[in-house]
Amino acid sequence: MEFVTQSLVIGLTENAPLILAAIGFALLYRLTGLINVAYSETITLGAYFGMWINTTYGLDFYAVLIPTGLLAGVLSVATYLALFRPAKQRHVGGLEMIIISFGLSIFLRHGLQFVFGYPERFYDVPPPDTIMVLGVGVTSFRLLALVAVAALSLLLYLFIQRSGYGLRIRALASDEALAQVSGIRPLVVTVMIWFIAGVAGGLAGAFYGVGASVSPLLGWRQFLLILMVALVGGSWGLGGVILVGVGTSVALAAMALQLEQVLYAQLVLIVAFVIVLKIRGSRRAETAKV
Amino acid sequence: MVADVVRAAAGPRIHVRGAVKSFSGRVVVNVEDLVLGDRPIEGLIGPNGAGKTTLMRMIMHSTSLDRGRVSLLPPGGGEVVLSSLPAHRMARHGVVKSNQVIMDFDKLTIWDSLLLAVAESRYEQPQRILSERTVFARHEAEIRRHLDFFGFGDPSAFAMSAGEKKLLDIVRCLLLKPTFLLLDEPTAGLPDDLTEKVMTVVRELAATGTTVVIVEHDLNVIWNLCDEVHFMAEGSVILRGDPQSIREHRTVVEKYLGEGHV
Amino acid sequence: MTLDWLDAFLITGLFEVVMVIGLALLLHLQLGLARIANFGVVGFWGIGMYVFGVLYVQVDWPFGEPWQFLACAAAATVVAGLAGLLVGWLVADLDTDGVLVGTLGFATAVQILATTQDDLTGGARGMGGLGFPYDIGRVKDNEFLWLVLVTAVVGAILLYVWRVHRSPYGRLLIAVGSNEPLARSLGKPTFRTKLWLFAVASAAMGFLGAMYGVMVRFLDVGNLGVGVTLAAMVGLVLGGTARVWGAVVGVVLTVGLFDIVIQSYLPLPREWYTQAIPVLREAAFGLTLMVVLLFRPLGLLGDMRRDRLMGKIHGR
Repeated sequence: MEFVTQSLVIGLTENAPLILAAIGFALLYRLTGLINVAYSETITLGAYFGMWINTTYGLDFYAVLIPTGLLAGVLSVATYLALFRPAKQRHVGGLEMIIISFGLSIFLRHGLQFVFGYPERFYDVPPPDTIMVLGVGVTSFRLLALVAVAALSLLLYLFIQRSGYGLRIRALASDEALAQVSGIRPLVVTVMIWFIAGVAGGLAGAFYGVGASVSPLLGWRQFLLILMVALVGGSWGLGGVILVGVGTSVALAAMALQLEQVLYAQLVLIVAFVIVLKIRGSRRAETAKV
Repeated sequence: MVADVVRAAAGPRIHVRGAVKSFSGRVVVNVEDLVLGDRPIEGLIGPNGAGKTTLMRMIMHSTSLDRGRVSLLPPGGGEVVLSSLPAHRMARHGVVKSNQVIMDFDKLTIWDSLLLAVAESRYEQPQRILSERTVFARHEAEIRRHLDFFGFGDPSAFAMSAGEKKLLDIVRCLLLKPTFLLLDEPTAGLPDDLTEKVMTVVRELAATGTTVVIVEHDLNVIWNLCDEVHFMAEGSVILRGDPQSIREHRTVVEKYLGEGHV
Repeated sequence: MTLDWLDAFLITGLFEVVMVIGLALLLHLQLGLARIANFGVVGFWGIGMYVFGVLYVQVDWPFGEPWQFLACAAAATVVAGLAGLLVGWLVADLDTDGVLVGTLGFATAVQILATTQDDLTGGARGMGGLGFPYDIGRVKDNEFLWLVLVTAVVGAILLYVWRVHRSPYGRLLIAVGSNEPLARSLGKPTFRTKLWLFAVASAAMGFLGAMYGVMVRFLDVGNLGVGVTLAAMVGLVLGGTARVWGAVVGVVLTVGLFDIVIQSYLPLPREWYTQAIPVLREAAFGLTLMVVLLFRPLGLLGDMRRDRLMGKIHGR
C-alpha cells in the first residue's frame, strides 16, 4: 500500500511538467498535424526565461511563471510565423516538415549551448516548503506544478469545448478550407493554438527547471516521452493525453522505486509505447489524421 | 447458350457473401450474395454513390470489410478467400484492378512503371542489384507490344497527361497477366480511338479465358462489351441480366438512364 | 611512404567525413528512395560499435588478429542487422510520426543500455582497449591505413547504391516511397521490402560503427547522442536526398567544412576548437536543414532524373 501511494504521489508531482508539456504538444499535433521536434526547445527556453527573470529581477518563483508563460508563447508563435508558416505556404511535405522542426530544435539547442555553455544553472529560490501528502513529503513547487496542470487542463477543456474560439479551432482542425469559407480567420486561430502550446511548454520548462536545474538539453531529454504520450494518448483527445500522461508519470515513479536504475524505467516505457503504436498501426488501415 | 455454359466453367469467378462496409455510420455497400464472372465480360452500373468503387476496393481488400467475405473461385475448383489476404497477394492470384482516379508513381517513368509491374519478386531483392538487364530482356518485347498498340510516345519520359496516366494504369494491369480483371471506369477521359482500343483489348482478354468486370459511366461501352450487366443502387445489386433486358427495365430507366435514353 | 603533410587532425577529419558519407548513403536508400525518415541512424551505428567493442575487449578470443577483428565486426554487423529487422518490423506499417517514435526510441534505448550495462560497456566512464587489427609502425601509419580501409568500404557502399538506382530493387524502393498502395496493388510486398531495407542498411551502419570504434579505440556513450544522425541527415539533405551523389557532395560541404577546413586550416585560437566550434557546427547543421528544406527542398543536386537514366540504359 505504501508503495502504491508513494508511486502515485511522487509520480504525479514529479512528472506533472511532463503532462503539461504533453498537453501542449498534443494540442499542436492534433490541430495543426505537425510533429514539432523543436517543442523540446520551447520547454528549455521556458526554463531559461524563468531563470533569467528570477535571477535578474529577483522575482519569486510564483511571480516568474506569468511572464515566462507569455514569453514562451510568443516564442512559439514566432517560430510558427518565421518558419512553419512559410514552409506550409511552400507546400513542404509532412516528412520534410518533421526534418525542418528537427533542424530548428538542433539550432536552438546549440544556440543556447553557445550562449550559456554547458554548466547547469539553478533558479535562485528559497528552499521550498515540504508538504506531507499521504505520508510522502512533497515540495510546494511540485505541488504547484500539479495544480497548474489541473488548472490548465480545465481551462483548455472549457476553452475548446465552450468558447467561440474553441468552436473555430475545432472547425479549423476538421476542414481548413471550409472553416475559411464560414468566416473563420485561420491565421488568428492558428496563432492562438501555437501560443497556447507555447505557454504550456514554457511553464513545463519552468517547473522542470526549478525542480532540478537548467541546461540546454533539458527539453530534449524529455522529448521522446512527451512525443510518445501525445501520440498514444492524443487519439482519444485531451482526456486521453492526460490519462496516458498520468499513467506514464506513475509508472515512471513506481519503476524508479523498484529498479536499481531510473534509466530502465524509460527503457520499459519506450518498449511499451512502441508496441502500442505497432498494434494500433497494424489495425488502422484507412483512418485519416484530423 | 451452350457456349456460355462452357465458358462459365472456364473463367474464374468471384463470390461476395454478406459483405458490408459503412463509413461513419452510413452503409455504403451491403451485398447479400453476388457472383461475378459467370459470363466472360460483365458490367457494373448504377447511379453515383451506389457503392460500385467501394465494392471493387473491397474485392481487392484495399478497403477492409466490416463483415462478410469475398472469395475467388478458380476454374479448376477450390476457393481462395480474398478477404483474408493482404492487398499485395491479390495479383499473385490473378485478381487485378485498374483505378478510377488517376494513380501514378510521380518519380517513375513509363519504362519504370511497366518494368515494375512485370518484374518478378526474385529480381527485386536487395542482393539482386545486377538483374536489370535480365528483367528488361525477358519483358521488353511484351512491353513494346503494348506501348505500340496504345501509341505511347517516348517510354523513357514521364507520363504527362491524365489520359496517358490512365492508359499506363491499364497497361500495368495487363502486364500482371490477370485472370480476373476489374476495370473501374477505364475509358473515362480517353478519346474515342483509345476507348476503342481498350475495348479491343478487353475482348481479346476475355477470349483467352480472363474474366473481366467493368464499372463504367459510358453506357455505350457497357452495351457493346458486356455479356451480363449488374445494376447497383444504394449499396446492393438490385438487378442483373443481359444488356438488352437491363436497358428495358423500368427501374434502371428511372434511376439511372433518364427518359431520354429509351 | 612519408605522411608528413598528414597530421592526426586531418586523418581524424577525413575519417569522419568518409564514415558520414557512408551513413548518409545508407540513409539515402531509406529517406531518399523509400521515403522513410530514420531518425535513429546513431542507434544502428552505435549498436555496431558497442557490440564490436564489448566482444573485442571482454571476450578472450582463442585466435589473434586479424581474425579477432573480423569475428567481432561480423557479430556487430549481424546484431545491427537484426536490430534493423526488429525496428523495421515495428515501424514498417506506421506513418512518419510512428517511424519517428520507433527510430528515435531505438536510438535512445541503445544509449540507455550502453550507459546502464557498465560492467560490460564501461558506462559513462567509457571503455578503452580497442586496437587496430594490424601494426605497421607508428600510430599515424596505422590510422592512415584504417582510413584507406574505411574509404574502400564506403566506396563499396557507394557502388552498391549506384547499382540500386539501376536495378529492379531500386525501382521497387522508389515505388514504395512514392505510392505505397499502388505498389501493393501491383503485387509488391511493401511491408517485407521495408523490413529488408532496414535490415540491410542497419547492418552496414553497424559495420561502420565497428570501424569507428577501432579508429577511436575508445567507447564513449557521448557519441550516442543525436550528432551522428544529424551529420548524416544534414549532408544528405544539402546534397539532395534523391540523388546518389547527394550524400557525397553534401557531407563534404558540411562535415568536411567543419572537420577538415576549419579544424585544420583556419588559424583560430586553440580553445575555440574544444569549446565553440563543435557547438557552432551543430547549430549550423540545424540551420542548414531548415534553410535547404525551405528554399531548395531537393538539395543542391535536385530531383532524381529517371527519364535520363532510363533513356540511357533502355533507350526510347
